Amino acid sequence: MEPEEDWLVESLRLYQDFHAFDLSGATRVLEWIGDKGVFVAGYESLKKNEILHLILPLRLSVKENQGLCPERDFKVCHGGFSDTSVFDLKHVPDTRLLVTTGLPSSYLHVWQVTEDSDVIQAVSSIAVQQKEGGLWPRVAIFSSTAPRVLHGARLRSLNIVDLETQKTTYTSGVSDSEELSSLQVLDADTFAFCCASGRLGLVDIRQKWAPSENLSPGPGAAGGRWYADVGGRGPGPSIASLGSNGQLCLLDPRDLGHPVSSVQCSVSAPSPDPELLRVTWAPGLDGCLAISGFDGTVQVYDATSWDGVGSQVDPLFTHRGHIFLEGSQIDTAPLVTTHTWHPHKPRTLLSAASDASLHVWDWVDLRVAS
Amino acid sequence: MPEIRVTPLGAGQDVGRSCILVSIAGKNVMLDCGMHMGFNDDRRFPDFSYITRNGRLTDFLDCVIISHFHLDHCGALPYFSEMVGYDGPIYMTHPTQAICPILLEDYRKIAVDKKGEANFFTSQMIKDCMKKVVAVHLHQTVQVDDELEIKAYYAGHVLGAAMFQIKVGSESVVYTGDYNMTPDRHLGAAWIDKCRPNLLITESTYATTIRDSKRCRERDFLKKVHEAVERGGKVLIPVFALGRAQELCILLETFWERMNLKAPIYFSTGLTEKANHYYKLFITWTNQKIRKTFVQRNMFEFKHIKAFDRAFADNPGPMVVFATPGMLHAGQSLQIFRKWAGNEKNMVIMPGYCVQGTVGHKILSGQRKLEMEGRQVLEVKMQVEYMSFSAHADAKGIMQLVGQAEPESVLLVHGEAKKMEFLKQKIEQEFRVNCYMPANGETVTLPTSPSIPVGISLGLLKREMAQGLLPDAKKPRLLHGTLIMKDSALKELGLVEHQLRFTCRVHLHDPRKEQETAMRVYSHLKSMLKDHCVQHLPDGSVTVESILIQAAAHSEDPGTKVLLVSWTYQDEELGSYLTSLLKKGLPQAPS
Repeated sequence: MEPEEDWLVESLRLYQDFHAFDLSGATRVLEWIGDKGVFVAGYESLKKNEILHLILPLRLSVKENQGLCPERDFKVCHGGFSDTSVFDLKHVPDTRLLVTTGLPSSYLHVWQVTEDSDVIQAVSSIAVQQKEGGLWPRVAIFSSTAPRVLHGARLRSLNIVDLETQKTTYTSGVSDSEELSSLQVLDADTFAFCCASGRLGLVDIRQKWAPSENLSPGPGAAGGRWYADVGGRGPGPSIASLGSNGQLCLLDPRDLGHPVSSVQCSVSAPSPDPELLRVTWAPGLDGCLAISGFDGTVQVYDATSWDGVGSQVDPLFTHRGHIFLEGSQIDTAPLVTTHTWHPHKPRTLLSAASDASLHVWDWVDLRVAS
Repeated sequence: MPEIRVTPLGAGQDVGRSCILVSIAGKNVMLDCGMHMGFNDDRRFPDFSYITRNGRLTDFLDCVIISHFHLDHCGALPYFSEMVGYDGPIYMTHPTQAICPILLEDYRKIAVDKKGEANFFTSQMIKDCMKKVVAVHLHQTVQVDDELEIKAYYAGHVLGAAMFQIKVGSESVVYTGDYNMTPDRHLGAAWIDKCRPNLLITESTYATTIRDSKRCRERDFLKKVHEAVERGGKVLIPVFALGRAQELCILLETFWERMNLKAPIYFSTGLTEKANHYYKLFITWTNQKIRKTFVQRNMFEFKHIKAFDRAFADNPGPMVVFATPGMLHAGQSLQIFRKWAGNEKNMVIMPGYCVQGTVGHKILSGQRKLEMEGRQVLEVKMQVEYMSFSAHADAKGIMQLVGQAEPESVLLVHGEAKKMEFLKQKIEQEFRVNCYMPANGETVTLPTSPSIPVGISLGLLKREMAQGLLPDAKKPRLLHGTLIMKDSALKELGLVEHQLRFTCRVHLHDPRKEQETAMRVYSHLKSMLKDHCVQHLPDGSVTVESILIQAAAHSEDPGTKVLLVSWTYQDEELGSYLTSLLKKGLPQAPS
């Protein structure tokens, strides 16, 4: 009990708000719908998984008189059952549809969140052309009046499929078998891909496959597995690429071949499960990003002053809640499976771990606090 | 009728007015009798007309069970027993019996004195109502009558809260009341054994939530207190007295040193008196067969917490004060509030729900200007914080309880059906049970297959055994025989009683006329059966008790008479005896 209580006292100073929840099953998904709801989904292989649409505790959404609002609980607004494990879930903007991907990987599943019932219904399935065995297709959404799903487990199997007609509107058309680790839609015509090797590319879908890439020996030369995020606020580089060896590279999309900076994060590398690597840019803070996937922590870094290659950097903040608060499984140390920033509240994050815990926390920037 | 019927009472879909009617094997039980705090008129009471349609409540209901002292579970009890009219037993645990009348009286005072309500129950009614209470211990089987029994289980939640098992023969229902499955500092968590009831009835007000951890609630409380005290402010925490105060005191005491805080913490005198009373109740309550891990210390001896004196309220500097009553509606907490309200450095933390009409309710609604007695206006500049500490079961907790009790079916009350379809499916899939969600006033009927013990005659059993096959619990065998049922069972099932009569023909050599044969039979039997009532009826037949003997000529042989002997099943023994007697022949009559 002692370390937990010590941490709790420390937390008074470290966090403004802090909420901890126990889900019925661990999630690798934290997908926003609006700024008040998130989706989570289970990834167990032998039993039914739940997909939940959770509404954030009222206390966090209330603008004024927060003190008069005692509601600290998540509300389960909708729930559904999935026979397959869900590794990623994307909400199709401006619709009530969701697309999930996982194992077995022969299909992507489309779901609908209805208004008159709280059950999330399975609507259809999108066949994945090339069966990939243990690999699962990454997914991103092109939102428009006719939304399309970008998916693929390898570069050669990258496709864009119209959600309603299920017709394929774009294929990469290459035979490259490199494994993908993330896909991200940037605007109506562009998407970014990151391969497990660290190879990055930006693709304009109006042309035949000709991505701008970082082909010269880039960060991937160091080995390990990589994950990238495009975003970032402020004037600096907008692509962050995180390696399972703890290396973090910042790149400018106009010159992918030459990273702006490359640092070594203060993490215990290598990551025990590189598929869980996550790096995310903060939508509300200039040059800030968060990383997870190495242990039971989430680290926040201020990248505004980084330059050069190879320097060791310290995080601005480390969230240790998943380690100190008992989860459902006490014997194994929990691993953070995913995290996400709140769309508006600049320092609020959500993080989930392998012990089915889900935290919502608002960290204090100790540089600013008096 | 092998079925269980459940009807949640009350008009509308609103939560907060717990009152459930259960019919099980012919017995009628009312579970809880709560008040809806949001209404000021009759809508706050459950709709008892559903039951009173059938006549007197006392005749219809076998008992009333109250799960715990919260007003949304017992607030309508005096109204129900004294104003609507019920004189039967009311079962509750000992702490509930002790605390209920205090809360009811408090509530009555607020309703009548503060809000000027008429047609409310009186103090005498509360006393009269409590006279009907029969207090029970945990895990004690209580016989309500020779068929109905009840048993209380630990529910956590508040002092004295219990879950109740209601059992008639092999059919049972478990009602949870409010409970929590995650332990808190002074009450622990609910527990039930694998009692496998036909039906588990559980409150589902929080069924669609995922609860923030206790740690984080505590952290928030500590943070607020710390912030106020650090800026030199005074913190007022109005508490009802029992339960919540202990929980928060333990919390502050645990962290005061770690946080290196020097500000004094006070416990008002009214609380200390009640605390001793509470302590006695508490110790007997928690000395039942429940895990004692959380009762590690005397909860009324604190290092940092001292007794409060009215004068301290004017002392300069920061302090924390626990004072009663909890809704700031009168007494010391209100006095202190009035002194401290004007300073924005100060803080009041409301740890629970406040009834309409109280100052607590007003400030929680955001009111910053209060009209006090004598038209004085009080400006509230102090920080107002609303924290909820009451422990309820969320979706996860409900799943845990269903897993522990292993019921055949689950019934969720006080939720909105449309918003709980997912939970219903989850329960049905995980436990392979039926899940019901009736609206208020809607009756759910559950068919049950009760096992009925049947006695079997030795002869019948031996004949079956002679067939060579051993009895196998998994392979039911069809047995042919006659089932004898007692009157009341027949009536209940609406079956017509069948009379079984046996007949036997005894051939006698007698050339005389039938009437003479009958006369001979009569004389013979009269002399042989001096202890029995033997009669010779005008139509020639002879009766011995209910046994009828009629003489008739043999159709082919006039020298032979046929005696038709018939008797009912009940007179089997006598009938057999008579038959064998008659077969021996009649004595020669003197001519």
